[in-house]
Amino acid sequence: MRVRLFFATDVHGSEVCWRKFINSARHYEADVLILGGDMTGKAIVPIVQTGPEQWRYHMLDITHDLNGADDLAKAERLIKDHGYYPVALTPEERDEYTSDEDKLEELFHAQMRKTVEEWVEWADMKLEGSGIQCIVCPGNDDRHDIDDILATSKHMQVGEGNVLDLPEGYQLASSGWTNLTPWDTPREEDEPKLKERIMGIVKQATVPPERLVLGLHAPPYDTQLDVAPKIDWETLTVQGQDSAHVGSTAVKEVIEEVQPILSLHGHIHESRAAVRIGRTLAVNPGSSYVEGMVAGVVVDLDGKSKLKRYRLTSG
Amino acid sequence: MATDASKSGEQTLFVRKASGLVKGWSSTDGFRYSFFSVNLFLAIWSFAYATFIPGGSMFWAIVITAIFIILEIVVYAGLISAMPRAGGDYVWMTRIFHSSVGFVIAAVGWWFILWLWTPIYADMGVQTTIKPIFRILGLHGAADWLGTATGIFVASLVVIAIASILVAVGMKTYANFQKWAMWIGLAGVIVCGILLLVTSGDSFKEKFNQAAEKYYGGDVGLLDLTKYEQDEAGLFVYDDEGNMVVVEGETNAGAFEAVEAVGAGTGMPTSTFSGGLSWATWAIIPFMLFWMAWPNWGATLYGEVRGAKDFRKNIYQMLGGLLVPTAIALAFLGLMTWKVGYQAFMGMMASFWWGISPIGGDYISPTAMISWIVPNAAFQVILIAAISLLLFGWFGTLFLSSTRMIFASAFDRILPERAAKVTSGGVPVVALLLMTIPSTIVAALYAYTPIVEERGVTIVKLFTYDATFGIIIMFLGSGLAFMVMKWRARGIWENSALPKSGIAGIPWMAIIAAVYCAFLVFNIFMFVWDPDGVYYINLWESALFMGGLYLAGVVIWIVAWTIRKKQGMELEAVAKEIPVE
Repeated sequence: MRVRLFFATDVHGSEVCWRKFINSARHYEADVLILGGDMTGKAIVPIVQTGPEQWRYHMLDITHDLNGADDLAKAERLIKDHGYYPVALTPEERDEYTSDEDKLEELFHAQMRKTVEEWVEWADMKLEGSGIQCIVCPGNDDRHDIDDILATSKHMQVGEGNVLDLPEGYQLASSGWTNLTPWDTPREEDEPKLKERIMGIVKQATVPPERLVLGLHAPPYDTQLDVAPKIDWETLTVQGQDSAHVGSTAVKEVIEEVQPILSLHGHIHESRAAVRIGRTLAVNPGSSYVEGMVAGVVVDLDGKSKLKRYRLTSG
Repeated sequence: MATDASKSGEQTLFVRKASGLVKGWSSTDGFRYSFFSVNLFLAIWSFAYATFIPGGSMFWAIVITAIFIILEIVVYAGLISAMPRAGGDYVWMTRIFHSSVGFVIAAVGWWFILWLWTPIYADMGVQTTIKPIFRILGLHGAADWLGTATGIFVASLVVIAIASILVAVGMKTYANFQKWAMWIGLAGVIVCGILLLVTSGDSFKEKFNQAAEKYYGGDVGLLDLTKYEQDEAGLFVYDDEGNMVVVEGETNAGAFEAVEAVGAGTGMPTSTFSGGLSWATWAIIPFMLFWMAWPNWGATLYGEVRGAKDFRKNIYQMLGGLLVPTAIALAFLGLMTWKVGYQAFMGMMASFWWGISPIGGDYISPTAMISWIVPNAAFQVILIAAISLLLFGWFGTLFLSSTRMIFASAFDRILPERAAKVTSGGVPVVALLLMTIPSTIVAALYAYTPIVEERGVTIVKLFTYDATFGIIIMFLGSGLAFMVMKWRARGIWENSALPKSGIAGIPWMAIIAAVYCAFLVFNIFMFVWDPDGVYYINLWESALFMGGLYLAGVVIWIVAWTIRKKQGMELEAVAKEIPVE
């Protein structure tokens, strides 16, 4: 019997993308939902109080002045949909966070936890009684403690470091860890360690390669899935028009050696593509979270040993 | 941790360490792509087309067109900023309207109709650059052969090869090539400007006549100084069969005098301002679209470029791409008017289409005739070749956008997966085949179909403006998509960085799009109505050609829809937005 997977990745705190992801099973008639990592946002937008019921914030080069609680609520929703964390602050608090990195770190931590908790609650409500299998795997940008929050979900499974059973005797082996990046993110390590980690997970699988799906946040090196702007690691600035392959050699080697039926990736938002590596279809659906769009891929497995078809989506 | 500060120095964004923070496609790269697309060679080719409507003002037609194309730039900058995806128009229309509408219109606009652009590129390259160089080098046999049906066909094959190579080398290498091509080409343009500035009108005419005599006269036997009878108003006199009456026993003093006579005899205006804002001027505008409508040509590529979400940056780069060539073209017209007179210049352009060019029937290439100011063959060839980089640097755009549209529809599974196949070296091999094979067929039709007697060109060459028409219809579709984005794609609209202000609940962005669409509708109406019989779009053969292309798009979509439905997933689901709540 056919199994339909829907895979999306890198929603980066965008609430609208999270909700769309959870709703995508019905939209695409998928049996299994898989989120490939980087759930949490990258930035906080301070909404600074300018009067008793007045606030101001800046986003995308536009200054917004808010009057009253309704305006504030709408702004918070808009900011969340962009993948940022809205935080209402007094000017003094804003200045305090500006000058105190540790305090800002704490604020980020709290915002991420709170948001993931809210997301889990919402997802559980939507998935209740749906019969849809939903698997989420954190990515390199996600702190480790969100795994614990995700684990509290009644209807979602945490992919990180696990091999999970899928319908019709398929299995999914996942990891959000990546090769080293210039940003020193929570889940990254050098290639030998990464390969050891991934192979350790894959070895837990009890199915043959044609029934194994990999969900690895880092894309395989030197493919169409891993092309990103070339960045100076010192200054973190883009090097002109140059691009570079920034995927993982470990991931590539694992795919070449294991030859799973399907390998799902993310991490490089602008490298939306699908390639064949031997018998494996490797896909990175990319990410359009800033636009509030869920870039994904629908994959039909035939229930035996073949991948029937796949389709990149944007919805 | 990092922070972004507002102009006042206040922190407006707290950013944590996370991957992929920095993006930034150089504005110069975007500008360059637009600059090449609003190509100066298309400009000089359009000047020749404008001779078909002598009552209008080319100056005002250019200015009016530029103003409306600025609206196009705002519309496309907005669409790109809101949805920066590879596939551009296809993606916007499929997401905002419907999968079928987006595919059919974009397939014609970015895929099928570019097959016709292939021989047009070749024809322009041959007439403006290759033939003049061959004449200077004395390779008259080769130059004449290039004017034959087989010559045009072979030139088209060369264009296909160049365009394919420029796509195959990838965007990065192509961008580098464009950078060098632009600087060398612009250096050539500057040299031309200086030559025109320092040369008196009399000297220009003298050099023009000398070069015409040297390269086309004497033993070469191509110089044609036939004098045609003119009436009291200076217009050519025609016999009962519609042929111009030859003045027996007399010839023009030189090639320049011949084109001067053509200018007067065909009723060309004496000033580029003549005609003001008359109806005839508006009738020239569709011709100007042939070169000015394309600053947004990179629209299908913005999924691959950095900084595409920056609305203002998108505007600046496309605006530069429009205004620089427009300013150069206007400066060129001004210099020609100053040095030789506008009527004589238009006579040069008209002589080609009227089949009475004194230089063996050849197109009088502006780059060649300016190079003739310096009577040195090596200099002339180098100058023409340098400027030609503005033409050859543009050839890659022929297939680049098409491949992205093909990719996007393959990702959506309207086309099969293999249409998006790329080699390990990144060459979109199937998409290229979907361009090169049909382009070869259309080039053969362009070259070998029967010649229409009264126009002296093949029937398919008469469809030249279909190549603009098909794309303009697509731009209209995208313009309408932008106009209704607030209502049809509320989520995307709300999440975009576009200015949301407006009047009576209608955003200024929608109003700008509406005015732009009205401009396009006017042009489409002109193309179809064609009161002067100059665009040839309303010929039944042309209608059949365009109808066939749209029909092909419809058939592909229906077949894909049927197959995908059987496979358990409808095409519409891919293009539709996932519900949020």
